[in-house]
Amino acid sequence: MTTDTTTDAASGDRGKPEPGRDPLRPPEPVVPDTTSQERRAIAEQFGLQQMGVRPPLGKYIRDVASRWAFIRVLGTATAYSKNQNNYLGQLWAVLNPILNATVYILIFGILLGTTRGLENAIAFIVIGTFLYRFFEQSVHAGSRSIAQKTNLIRSLHFPRAVLPIAQVVSLLTTLVPALVVMCAIVLLSGLLPKYPMEHITWSWLLLPAIVALMWVFNTGVAFIVARAVAITPDLDNIIGFVLRLVMYGSGVIFPVTHYVYRLPEAVQPVIGAILEYQPIGVFLYVARSILTQEPSMPQDPWMWLWAAGWAVVTFVVGFIVFWRGEERYGRD
Amino acid sequence: MTESDLHLDVDLDEEFEPEDLEGPKPVATVGDPVLVVDDLHIVYRVFGGKAKQVAAKGAENVREAKAPKRSLLRRLVSSTSQHVGAVSEVHAVRGISFVARHGESIGIVGINGSGKSTLLRAITGLIPPRSGGVYVAGEPALLGVNAALMPQLTGERNIWIGGLALGLTPKQVEERFDEVVEFADIGDFVYMPMKTYSSGMGARLRFAISSAATPDILMIDEALATGDAAFKARSKARIDEVRKNAGTIFLVSHSISTVEAMCTRVLWVHQGQLVMDGGTEEVLAEYRKFVRAHRLARSSARAGGVGPRARSKQRPKKQAAS
Repeated sequence: MTTDTTTDAASGDRGKPEPGRDPLRPPEPVVPDTTSQERRAIAEQFGLQQMGVRPPLGKYIRDVASRWAFIRVLGTATAYSKNQNNYLGQLWAVLNPILNATVYILIFGILLGTTRGLENAIAFIVIGTFLYRFFEQSVHAGSRSIAQKTNLIRSLHFPRAVLPIAQVVSLLTTLVPALVVMCAIVLLSGLLPKYPMEHITWSWLLLPAIVALMWVFNTGVAFIVARAVAITPDLDNIIGFVLRLVMYGSGVIFPVTHYVYRLPEAVQPVIGAILEYQPIGVFLYVARSILTQEPSMPQDPWMWLWAAGWAVVTFVVGFIVFWRGEERYGRD
Repeated sequence: MTESDLHLDVDLDEEFEPEDLEGPKPVATVGDPVLVVDDLHIVYRVFGGKAKQVAAKGAENVREAKAPKRSLLRRLVSSTSQHVGAVSEVHAVRGISFVARHGESIGIVGINGSGKSTLLRAITGLIPPRSGGVYVAGEPALLGVNAALMPQLTGERNIWIGGLALGLTPKQVEERFDEVVEFADIGDFVYMPMKTYSSGMGARLRFAISSAATPDILMIDEALATGDAAFKARSKARIDEVRKNAGTIFLVSHSISTVEAMCTRVLWVHQGQLVMDGGTEEVLAEYRKFVRAHRLARSSARAGGVGPRARSKQRPKKQAAS
């Protein structure tokens, strides 16, 4: 049978009697006429750069900065394409967080009453859930930013840091209309009986500042998870649980610091400080302090400093962590 | 996978009508080295792969990530290991070295699955090597129809994303926008989502986008295989134009006549290794012989009334007998 001779010839068990090479077999691999050292010497002599090595940090930062237009277009396009396949379209960018907040208001605010001691539970929960959603989605988007774009990575050259940045930019563009709705709900909740009136004060002008800090912070976190998940895809499964722990631990839907007194006294100051000064807790505190007149949440410049500190440190650390893995993305 | 199982759907002449390729044959005026590939190894990590079964069939370039241990415990665990921690590695490029010089246009040939496209991507720097290195002058660019775009977005958005990703400035993209649309010949479809395009339209647009930037070293991956005759002629003209500026060209193609018409040097890759490297005529003559011999072996096996399914059933018997 012909196939059998093919298999035998291909595996090289038998030489053919005819002179010359068996046409079914390729020639033996070429032995290069230069050694590895000679080739590298040639490369050096003619000033050739090695491909696929991580560029120095300074050059990398300039590269990323020069791709800002790409980041913006990719980010807005991603945001737009997300809500394109249904009738209400872009309206879902606003409806989704509203429904999300409604669920928590019903369960935690009204049924369980975990927000006792607060004057305006609705404002508290709405601000918490809208802003936490921004963080949560940034982490998820960051974790998928490399794996989802493997094809793009394998066809085009660009600093890979563009991908997580663009993901968070895309979330920011959907957050802006949602924030308008969030402010409206905060105002309207003041009209309900039993709730005190909410006023628009000068401090509302600070909202863009805290959102900007949160954006910087989220980008830093997105860098870190992007690298972690790109190298170890299993971590993607854990992120959901960590995010839920963070959500309940940062007082998104109830003032978690009010429950610290239930812990043993020895750990109370430590746990209390952690809960109060961890980044999400800080961002939410600042946002609530500028939007509501909750007596337990006065304006506090120190919290602003904490927020700025967290944002800058996380961004810088995240960027460096991501850059250090640059040459590995796309290899799989 | 034995060699006779490898797909050999290699076009010997179908892809280009000879009249498409009129014009002088390329002549190399060889200059300084522009690209040095040094003992390059590319290994893919594949999750959930079945390395064991494939490896048992004899594919040399697939192996398990961990060396199989034959202890009793290992054998007990091995029944679950296919589902937990099943990671295998595909050694797609296994130690390739060569030096490319200015003015050369180099064709890469080989049967399907031989590692041509991986090699091309690796020398473009898109897939990081496991070991070895690629040294290059300037920035190489890959010209292909595989540039992943976003199908849910309009052609217009995709031109922007593709152009910016290639490193063009927003101003340059704006300048070349009309040219890209005209070249792709898609008319008002440019304002429709790309998922509504016919496959030919999509391929034309991708080609038009990826040829919008003029690189130092140009890599072309099967780009000429798409579209109708008019588009082929246009894309060949575009490639010629780019070649005049670029200096060095790499071309991966299944069509031997395309390689013959465009290249001055040919690399033949087989199972991730470089088996021949030399002048176009010399290498292609050998490669043609190889492909024809395989095709003959296959067609006579078919003519003998033994289908592929029947053959695969018979093979174990034969192995047991020998």
